Amino acid sequence: MKDLVSILDGNTFLVSDQRGDVEPSLDFPTGLFSFDTRFLSTWLLLIDGQRLHALSVDDAACHRTRYFLVPGEATHFLDTKVSVIRSRMVSGDLSEDLTVLNHSGQEMSFTVRMEMASDFADIFEIKDIKSKKGHNTATPGENSLRLTYRRDAFHRETTIHSSADAQVDRRGMTFQIRIGPHGEWTTRLTVTTVIYGARGQNVRALLPFAGSRTSAAIESEHADFVDQAPKLSCDCQPLAGAYRRSLADLESLRYESIALGARLMAAGLPWFMTLFGRDSIFTSLQVLPFVPELIPPTLTMLAGLQGHRVDDFRDEEPGKILHELRYGETAGFEEQPHSPYYGAADSTPLFVILLDEYERWTGDAELIKQLEFAARAALTWIDTYGDLLGTGYVWYQTRNPATGLENQCWKDSWDAICYADGRLPSFPRATCELQGYAYDAKMRGARLARQYWNDPVYADRLEREAAELKERFNRDFWLPDKGYYALALDSDGSQVDALSSNIGHLLWSGIVDESRARQVADHLLGPQLFSGWGVRTLADDQGRYNPIGYHVGTVWPFDNSIIAWGLWKYGLREEASRICDGMLQASQYFSGRLPEAFAGYERDLTDFPVEYPTACSPQAWSAGTPLLLLRVMLGLEPKGEHLIIDPHVPPGLGRVELLDIPGRWGRVDALGRSREEEPGLAE
Amino acid sequence: MTKATEQFFATLPARAPEVLRAPVAGTLRIDLSDGHCTDHWLVRMRPGAAEVDRGPEPSDATWYCGTELFDRLVTGRAQTIAAVLRNESTFRGNVVLLLAFRRFFPSAPSTRDPREVAREHARWTR
Repeated sequence: MKDLVSILDGNTFLVSDQRGDVEPSLDFPTGLFSFDTRFLSTWLLLIDGQRLHALSVDDAACHRTRYFLVPGEATHFLDTKVSVIRSRMVSGDLSEDLTVLNHSGQEMSFTVRMEMASDFADIFEIKDIKSKKGHNTATPGENSLRLTYRRDAFHRETTIHSSADAQVDRRGMTFQIRIGPHGEWTTRLTVTTVIYGARGQNVRALLPFAGSRTSAAIESEHADFVDQAPKLSCDCQPLAGAYRRSLADLESLRYESIALGARLMAAGLPWFMTLFGRDSIFTSLQVLPFVPELIPPTLTMLAGLQGHRVDDFRDEEPGKILHELRYGETAGFEEQPHSPYYGAADSTPLFVILLDEYERWTGDAELIKQLEFAARAALTWIDTYGDLLGTGYVWYQTRNPATGLENQCWKDSWDAICYADGRLPSFPRATCELQGYAYDAKMRGARLARQYWNDPVYADRLEREAAELKERFNRDFWLPDKGYYALALDSDGSQVDALSSNIGHLLWSGIVDESRARQVADHLLGPQLFSGWGVRTLADDQGRYNPIGYHVGTVWPFDNSIIAWGLWKYGLREEASRICDGMLQASQYFSGRLPEAFAGYERDLTDFPVEYPTACSPQAWSAGTPLLLLRVMLGLEPKGEHLIIDPHVPPGLGRVELLDIPGRWGRVDALGRSREEEPGLAE
Repeated sequence: MTKATEQFFATLPARAPEVLRAPVAGTLRIDLSDGHCTDHWLVRMRPGAAEVDRGPEPSDATWYCGTELFDRLVTGRAQTIAAVLRNESTFRGNVVLLLAFRRFFPSAPSTRDPREVAREHARWTR
């Protein structure tokens, strides 16, 4: 991933090598993708039959990049009589300005060849290549090549057009060119991706945002987005850099849903460029104090797609909030269940939590009323279908063993939920954080019922149920000998006793007994869980611990941001500070762009955070992390019509000033300083 | 048009108070085609109510669907969004109406309550 270059605009993205080339890849999504379909799988430049060598890449912007190249391999003496610049931009479609420069004093001739092909693979077919059920055609035209894929009524098309004269064949374009002394030749290649819908119309052309925009339009949209967000001024450069990078990445991950016409947030490049319930809700919670305008479309769309029937293939039940929505061929033909897939036991309570948090910041009573039915249905799900065994807990077990998810919590890889000795528990499973979210959803639902839905009886009931759940949970999940909460209960109701980062989410939810918060925090920041950069997903003395195991040892920035929030909620400011500090230190090694996950190695061992091999970057909830850390450090908490500011800035960070924080109070400023300089100041 | 489809439309007004709870209002036209002729159904929706009518009237959204596919949808044997994604069925206009309307479609025949199934196998239930 490190030596690949990605550009994106919403859920259209291009992944190439350092030369700008794309070659068919069997294990990693390289090429041009849009709405989960690969529209270019080969895009390869040859000059006089030779591949090029990269001198440098300019990838400062999210949606465009430039490659500076010369013919020949790196080991050769670089004869720089000729060089090549490929300047490309993605904006719904892809355009590439290909320029060949003659640096000599004589006229020169070249054969420029661009190899072009598309396999129209669905993103789910990349790791698991099957022969396509539809058929491909390639049709050369005048300076253009049309590649199409059809399977029944499913119809995708890539059209490549060259502004300069080209000899076009079914596998690409050839340019016989002559360039005068110190002259140049250029062509613009435009790649249009078409999704055919009703009556042969290009579905994307009907969307207000997703059509091709100019680079200037994209940049001005980015600038507006950044302009709306609070301004950060601080002494700490890593923090300033991470904040800047995060805002740019969050903006570039916004896409317009093809079926839904709303602007949503894609979860992560390259695997997760679509709507996820959990990711979009956590990202929304992180960014709410900064860019609240992102939240209503997300909540509205999740409510619109709320489960309404029992569907075993999709793990759908009435009231459930979706896990993942895909737009590609495998979803359409039901080879994968993502239309949408509901295999998540946390997105439903998290939906209620976000709705309440959103209101507390914005005072948008209108949306709370609009979504009353959806929120009530979500709360009902917790106690009905969510409580699979009728034991007063939220459980999960997929009903789609072929393509469903075994683990329906944020740690959704197959081995993520395990006992301390490494054994895997039976199904159904009830992980601890699900119960925390259910508790918080009931408490917040009660507030909404009392204040907005005019239903104090329901509010009382929810609060009573929450109190009972908290009591029950503290009895059934607590491991008295170990001093922390079990990761889960197995189907016998026995404790799954691994020490995991999930206990940090419990602090955030408020389900932890006050008397136990300190013990939980000691584990989170103890040597088994805390790597020096952050809290590991699984403690390093557990049976399944692996520093590069996706959910069994790596450090996830998003996870850490929620844990820091939880520590702060229980007044454990020092501990929260340590996590904020570790994450900000780590972000420097990724140029401010925290990846999805990095390895759980001890900080002393590597001195820098080792990136997880196939981590997504940018990833929405990693981009949201620096924002939530800022909230935690400045102690920003809405109370009634006001914003409470109670800073606790880690030592050495100096001054942190956040100006124009939006909310029901209008705009306010917050200022904090590290303790060693002077006590924290609030506006 | 199939018998199941006809029965489905006939039950909508009575089912609306239970199904249409969100604040969504507008007219969805459903064009059902068997390849030769097209039936136009109009469903006027608002919170708690649905009126069914017929005819090619203007609408806030239009859904084009094969007669046979629609029969599978009203009997729970197909799913709306997958059908749209594979372009077997197409849609134009305010998508919120389609999302509200799909709530009238039932579960697949012989679908069991997942709680019942889980409790058969688990040893710890209350």
